[in-house]
Amino acid sequence: MNKLIITLAMMVTSFGIFGQSADEIIHQSIEATGGANWDKVNSLKYSANLEQGGMKIPLEVVAMRDGRTYTKINIQGMEIIQGAFDGEVLWSTNFMTQKPEKATAEDMENTKRSLGDFPSALHNYKKAGYKVSSEGEETVDGVVCYKIKMEKKPVLVDGVEVPNIEYYFIDKDTKALIMMESEITSGEMKGVIAQSKFSDYQEVNGVYIAFSQSMGVKDGDSQNITFDKVEVNPQIDENTFTYKGE
Amino acid sequence: MKKILITWSAFACSIFSIAQENAPMNVADYLGDLKVRHIGPALMSGRATDIEGHPKNSQVIYLGTAGGGVWKSNDAGVSFMPVFDDYCQSIGAVALDPSDPDNTVWVGTGEVWTRNSVSIGDGIYRSKDGGKSWTKLGLEKSERISAIRIDPKNPNVVYAGVLGGLWSNSADRGVYKTSDGGKTWEKILYVNETTGCSELVMDPNDPNVLYAAFWEFRRTAYSFNSGGVNSALYKTTDGGKTWNKIHNGLPAGKMGRIAVAVAPSDSKILYAVIEAEKDEAKGLYRSDDGGANWKFLNGDFGLVVRPFYFSRITIDPKNPDVVVKAGLFGSISRDGGKTFKGLGSMHADIHDIWFDPNDSQRMFVCNDGGLYRSMNGGNTMVHVENLPISQFYHVSVDNQEPYNVYGGLQDNNSWFGPSQSPGGVEARDWNLVGQGDGFRVYPHPTKPQIVYSEMQGADAIWRFDTKEQQLKTIKPYPGKGDPKLRFNWNAAFTTSKHHPDRLYAGSQFLHLSDDMGNTWTKISPDLTTNDKTKQNQEASGGLSADNSGAENHCTIFTIAESPISDKVIWVGTDDGQVQLTTDAGKTWTNLTKNIPGLPLNTWCYHIEASVFGESIAYAVFEGHTTGDFKPYIYKTTDFGKTWKSIVTNDIPVFVRSLQEDYKNQDLLFAGSEMGLYVTLNGGTTWSKFTSNMPSVAVHYMEMHPRTSDLVMATHGRGIIILDNASILRELKPEITSKTLHFFETKPFVMSEKSSFGGTSTEHQFVGSNPPDYAQIRYFLPKRHTFGKMTMEVLDMSGNVVAKLDPGKQKGINTVDWYFNSKAPKSAKGKTLDGASLFTPRVKAGKYKVRVTKGSDVFEQEIETVYDPKSPFTLEERAIQQKVTKENFDFVQELAYFVYQLDTWIASAEEAKKKDPKKGTSAEKMLTGLQGIKDKCVVTKGDNYVGQGEDQLREKLGDIYSNIGSYYGAPSTSQLENVQSLRDLFNLQKTAFEKLNSTELKKFQAELTKLGLKSPEVKSFEDFLKDDQL
Repeated sequence: MNKLIITLAMMVTSFGIFGQSADEIIHQSIEATGGANWDKVNSLKYSANLEQGGMKIPLEVVAMRDGRTYTKINIQGMEIIQGAFDGEVLWSTNFMTQKPEKATAEDMENTKRSLGDFPSALHNYKKAGYKVSSEGEETVDGVVCYKIKMEKKPVLVDGVEVPNIEYYFIDKDTKALIMMESEITSGEMKGVIAQSKFSDYQEVNGVYIAFSQSMGVKDGDSQNITFDKVEVNPQIDENTFTYKGE
Repeated sequence: MKKILITWSAFACSIFSIAQENAPMNVADYLGDLKVRHIGPALMSGRATDIEGHPKNSQVIYLGTAGGGVWKSNDAGVSFMPVFDDYCQSIGAVALDPSDPDNTVWVGTGEVWTRNSVSIGDGIYRSKDGGKSWTKLGLEKSERISAIRIDPKNPNVVYAGVLGGLWSNSADRGVYKTSDGGKTWEKILYVNETTGCSELVMDPNDPNVLYAAFWEFRRTAYSFNSGGVNSALYKTTDGGKTWNKIHNGLPAGKMGRIAVAVAPSDSKILYAVIEAEKDEAKGLYRSDDGGANWKFLNGDFGLVVRPFYFSRITIDPKNPDVVVKAGLFGSISRDGGKTFKGLGSMHADIHDIWFDPNDSQRMFVCNDGGLYRSMNGGNTMVHVENLPISQFYHVSVDNQEPYNVYGGLQDNNSWFGPSQSPGGVEARDWNLVGQGDGFRVYPHPTKPQIVYSEMQGADAIWRFDTKEQQLKTIKPYPGKGDPKLRFNWNAAFTTSKHHPDRLYAGSQFLHLSDDMGNTWTKISPDLTTNDKTKQNQEASGGLSADNSGAENHCTIFTIAESPISDKVIWVGTDDGQVQLTTDAGKTWTNLTKNIPGLPLNTWCYHIEASVFGESIAYAVFEGHTTGDFKPYIYKTTDFGKTWKSIVTNDIPVFVRSLQEDYKNQDLLFAGSEMGLYVTLNGGTTWSKFTSNMPSVAVHYMEMHPRTSDLVMATHGRGIIILDNASILRELKPEITSKTLHFFETKPFVMSEKSSFGGTSTEHQFVGSNPPDYAQIRYFLPKRHTFGKMTMEVLDMSGNVVAKLDPGKQKGINTVDWYFNSKAPKSAKGKTLDGASLFTPRVKAGKYKVRVTKGSDVFEQEIETVYDPKSPFTLEERAIQQKVTKENFDFVQELAYFVYQLDTWIASAEEAKKKDPKKGTSAEKMLTGLQGIKDKCVVTKGDNYVGQGEDQLREKLGDIYSNIGSYYGAPSTSQLENVQSLRDLFNLQKTAFEKLNSTELKKFQAELTKLGLKSPEVKSFEDFLKDDQL
């Protein structure tokens, strides 16, 4: 019996891959979640009904390969756009006045610096010249993950360039992305680690997409969004991206 | 091939599954989102030991603390966050790499301000990412690291001053050097096993020049010695290859602890404070030639007081004549050390000072009260109010609702405060009930206004009537013929579980009072070893006498009256004796010899008398005051005749406290010097509890009998609570083989309290509250990553009441439900009206929770109950629920009405666009419809002060939410208001009907003429089906 277990253990070991580079791990993750099908994805539209204490608030997130994006919520007939980027201007609807307002020049510049990170920086890091490295393994929610460090283009914080580092935690077995971490670089939360966790992966047009995403801070609270529908290359009213302020 | 793999995988799974069911669970793997909460407090904070700031970026500051780990500020010291929670929390030194201060930080563990209650360290750590992650880099046996100096030109060259063992001989002391970034260390200066490096400084202009202070010292449980012939000050000029004593001008004879600093702006100038043999030689010395010659300057009290506790000199980075010396109050000189004055008012006992190198007016000071900042060079000190690093020695709880926690702190008095409070547990919630060093604090079991507290060495035991503000000292005094009573620094006393007015107090004798401390009876002989060689505290201190009571020994330390019988009382002493009486003190049996494997005289820190039988008890011993850091936990089931060790190698460090669960005998908690441990199998295996729980020393624990909350007195992170620890009773190996396991829950009480929240300012610490909502808990043996997973709450008829987001992680998952049902669909308008989206609370009753995971469905019944403390009757609630339901329907009725108006308005606008001439039916419709709509909902303005006048929707939302959020019957005026809104609505409906009767047919004819269709108007039912609010 012992011998059998040892043999089985050796089999498992031989299936396992050790000492992989960050490039290899990322490559495997992309292959496992859609491979070349990702190349055919030019836009994504996520639709959800946010459940907020009994309220159901429709939410729509659109991201385009060219970097344009918006998040729209609809409540009592009001459309509120948040984090919209039309290629030039990053803007949001002011909730009080319901009028569009520009984000800071610094935020806009930082958005432009990550253009091309579609559908995620894992797909674009080589082209963008981001440096990736393997940081060993770490357990996330009970899943043993590869930890990948990605050094992106620095971001501006109060006029000073600071490193822009993200950590990706990829399930060692399934190669699915389980978590992403980054440090909050400005404001009162500066220094706190932001975490996004991904689950409920489902196939859409040949690619696997996390239908459930939880966003929060390390050791703190988080907010979950579960999408009812994710559309690949959907019809999109391109006018929605556009900043319509002065 | 696929088939083979599937077969193999099924086989392997079955093996693993059998193995899993039989193997003990490592609780840490399955904690999931079960987390402890921290309630601080931070108003008194706790001892901070070492502070270091970024040399160029004044925003970044790191703070080392005595028992609360390392904290980092990114906003110039306004707020701090912990960055070292997973590691040893006793910090000796923090250092930023001068060549990479943004990222590289070193931490040496083990505090060096060697008071009696000081903890231990376990090595040196480095972060390469600004404190986000840490790597241990050796020096594991160093026990305490006094300084880390990094070569500014070569970050791989690092020097560590290792003070070493406080309680025992050790060869692991001296100055260590690494030249490979911490991979290997070389001991480059060593004196002997009793003398360690207490300070190490580097010449800012030449990294090969270092000064090392060596200190001969030793503490035992009953004595302290500072000084000897081996204390000395050394200098190297070749990076540690050779060292020379630099004593020219310093006093001859024995020396004690030496503080030394080199001026950043002129490295020839050095200051040293010497603890010398002769009092007149004690004081500040200055050298202007790099230590070659020294000149005595000043022997002020502020400079020489308690060198073991205060031996840090900090020099203004820009002015070598501005010198600050740590001390009882802290002293500053602006004339090169000739004269000193005190720093601004703040908590006493100053340990470290840091000047902003870019602005010397900005300085930070560490002391027993945490951290202070000054913007005017130390004249005015401001307390940092968000450092919950308070050092509790003990905790107790009462049975109030919510319950209060009581405890005393190192140099920070005695307090009680609520376990929850509106807006969170704030500074203002805590009540001061003792002074000095605080230790054990108890509420009177039946008289809530009476609190007992004490100060060090039982200099006082108080009975405080918090309502009448009456304070009486009630400590036992020696009776006629009695010897001097010996009380521990942390003197034992406790209340009784059987007699509300009874108190026990332990000197070397056990004393009993049955009248709340007015009269005492001695009910034991001397229960200690009464070893006279351990009772010479007057001689304690070495070169500086230090007879504070901290070394009192041969005393009773723990008293445990059986919760089952008042005749059974267990006593443990600091000199390792366990004594038992089973006849209320008439006779005593010393059980010490029955305990196998316990080193002689090992401190009995805690005895837990079990609720499961009067013959059952647990005894916790710890020998750290002899240098023995091993854990000792024993259990007896036969009144102490035999004892079995129930500790394993799973706990790597000494333990001070133990708490048994009241329901499951096998569930035990152990408070170690580096974190909380839990066993599910009576001590066969232990697991570290890590979920939001720092590796902090847990000095005492209490489980609340009503809530099953585990309340922990930590010595560095305040009070930490594991709410409702009962969930751990159900955590058994067999549930790991299930796809999903729901935990049983008690009926959830729907709190009906309201508040306006807290009053803390933005940067004051606020402790988190326990949940006052339903927490639905289940167990997943592995994380859910692929496929859909949903969660719903249904009523018992199967109607979905709420949709919730399920947790997905391995282990325990907790989903919060605020007892909300669905919100009504409310009318669209120009602005948002949140009130009309109010979600009514469900009725008390049974509900079903359904989790759908892929194709598997799991269900669990839960129950909600009304708050039994609420003043409302069922009849009142029934009226409220009926009116709320009517208003809910009213909101939806109005929403549908506005929808109809909007539909026809859109149609009329389209027609008008096609035929813009005046006088058309479309125009009349539009005018009429808009007029009605204007009465129904705000149609102009914004969501702030530009909003239009409230209309029907807004008024209805207001009354609907007001009635819905108060659980008693609505008032007459509220009901009248609803009726008036109903009348208003009827008027608009009548107006709409009138418009329809006069214009609709004509308008429809016009539409046909224009080639337009009449709009489709959904039925009310279809309208509601559309989820959009």
